[in-house]
Amino acid sequence: MRLDQLVSPWAKSSPHQVAVDGNEVFTYAELDQLANCFANLILASGLQLGDRVGIHLPRSGRAIAAMLGTVRAGGIYVPLDPGSPPARMQLIVRDCGLRHVVIAPHLLNSWIAASVCEPVEHYFLSEGTNSPELPQPCRVHLWFEVVESSPNLPGSPGESPDDLAYILYTSGSTGVPKGVMISHRNALVFVNWAAEQISLGQTDRVASVAPFHFDLSVFDIWASLSRGATIVIVDEVTVISGSRMLDRIHEKSINVWYSVPSALVLMLENGALAERGAASLRVVFFAGEVFPIKYLRRTMTAISNARFLNLFGPTETNVCLAYEVKSPPPVDATAVPIGTASCDDVISILDAEGHAVADGEVGELFVDGPTVMLGYWDAGRRTLAKHPYATGDLVSRRDDGQLMYHGRRDHMVKVHGYRVELGEVETTLNGHPGIQEALAFAIDQQLVAVAVPAGPSLSVLDVKRYCATRLPKYMIPSDIRLVERLPRTSSGKADRVRARTALVESDVSTLKPIRPAQL
Amino acid sequence: METRVRTDIQQYIVTTWLSGDGRGFDDNTDLQQNGILDSFSTLALIGFLEETFKVKLAPSDINAETLRNVNTLTQMVLGKLAPSNRDNTG
Repeated sequence: MRLDQLVSPWAKSSPHQVAVDGNEVFTYAELDQLANCFANLILASGLQLGDRVGIHLPRSGRAIAAMLGTVRAGGIYVPLDPGSPPARMQLIVRDCGLRHVVIAPHLLNSWIAASVCEPVEHYFLSEGTNSPELPQPCRVHLWFEVVESSPNLPGSPGESPDDLAYILYTSGSTGVPKGVMISHRNALVFVNWAAEQISLGQTDRVASVAPFHFDLSVFDIWASLSRGATIVIVDEVTVISGSRMLDRIHEKSINVWYSVPSALVLMLENGALAERGAASLRVVFFAGEVFPIKYLRRTMTAISNARFLNLFGPTETNVCLAYEVKSPPPVDATAVPIGTASCDDVISILDAEGHAVADGEVGELFVDGPTVMLGYWDAGRRTLAKHPYATGDLVSRRDDGQLMYHGRRDHMVKVHGYRVELGEVETTLNGHPGIQEALAFAIDQQLVAVAVPAGPSLSVLDVKRYCATRLPKYMIPSDIRLVERLPRTSSGKADRVRARTALVESDVSTLKPIRPAQL
Repeated sequence: METRVRTDIQQYIVTTWLSGDGRGFDDNTDLQQNGILDSFSTLALIGFLEETFKVKLAPSDINAETLRNVNTLTQMVLGKLAPSNRDNTG
């Protein structure tokens, strides 16, 4: 089975079922036809088996049709982040050797302005009728003009489920983006597992909240399409507002939700989730960062009808662990488990010498099995993944077999000779009832924390006092900054890299300090 | 003099370890229990006291009691200063 085979059966059996509900609505029949049209167009433009196709569109039915059309034509789709600066875009376009790019007109204009062109030869405009001027030998195709003329695909050129389906660029620890190569088999193992966990079906209305270049979106798109469900786009403008996100859930009767915890916290803090509830939701998946217990409790109380599942895994392994949170965790709990192996993956926890650790001891998480990526795309060279894959995540196994998360191995720092796990400092800070979210860093042998207060009364002394009762002295941040908000990555997570840079450079526009009136 | 010593110590602590946020902090705030002093900040504090007030602190001067709060620190510094300094200003 391959991703390109998922939609046609539904297009035949339920042609009028809505596949994507966004600014535009597409039925399964329409999505199927649009994807074929795009496949024909890129094949006619010289796409070869295994060529990469950039998808540079806002989240929409057209973007999904372009992904589907790409894999039907035997290509590999590469979702590009519309919010990414041109310099980073240029790195990815070159690294991936993109000759074909589907692009929205306004994004093409910004590419031309920033000269992000080479080696692109063919642009496919998602809308509009005017073709901008481009340097030779680039060609611009108006995709939507040819919809009517090419409804059928002359057979699928790709055959193996082990072919690459897509490449997701993720930030590398060195700052250079890394392309994670995912095969059809990798994706479908997870998609089928997740759909089965929640008995996903045609009556379901699945939110698309995560950006398409972020691996959470794999569930939204492909699990929905595999089961004939409807994808409801919660667009880029909506996701920045808690109240608008909640409006969308109510208006569209969304019943399956998958996001980073931050999005749910935003609905609590700025969308009155506790008062308004979200009765339509039957499943809430969360992943990507630790869900602070106090917010998880409030979210579960507000959405009391839904099942809550904590999914875990780096982009390289998609989801490899899962835990269902059956009831709100106790108020003094420090964290919920990340669970047990999912998707037929095999999990091991190893120490620095490669030996399995005893239950309760912390070691690095290693994953082997069908979700582990093929490897990294590196300027056309394919670096195959080592098996088992070393995640860099620190975990331990409880007596009941559930795994607990202890932060990243590479956030282990030394301050004055002491080993400090920044994740532990952050977990403590995030446990403070007056803190909305916080990050910790080691800068020049000092522990520095930035915290967003939940209200105006929180003082630095409050935070220090709280830490003093929970952490060894050497783990109490000596420098605590209260700020209005944290910078965020395009996927919505707190942006550690930008926050750290802002601290080092005293950049008060990125980390705007809160100045209490009485100071 | 006592006021100056007290104010200087208070300002130093608030600026250095509370990011300038003095809310809730006063002369009786326990520096140990509130996570303000650890072994490294203690060293920095001693350096500050010696340099600012031109006093020499012996190891016997540094203990849990003298390091408890701004009051006890102020008294320790005043005890080290020459009597003439103490009496001239207030």
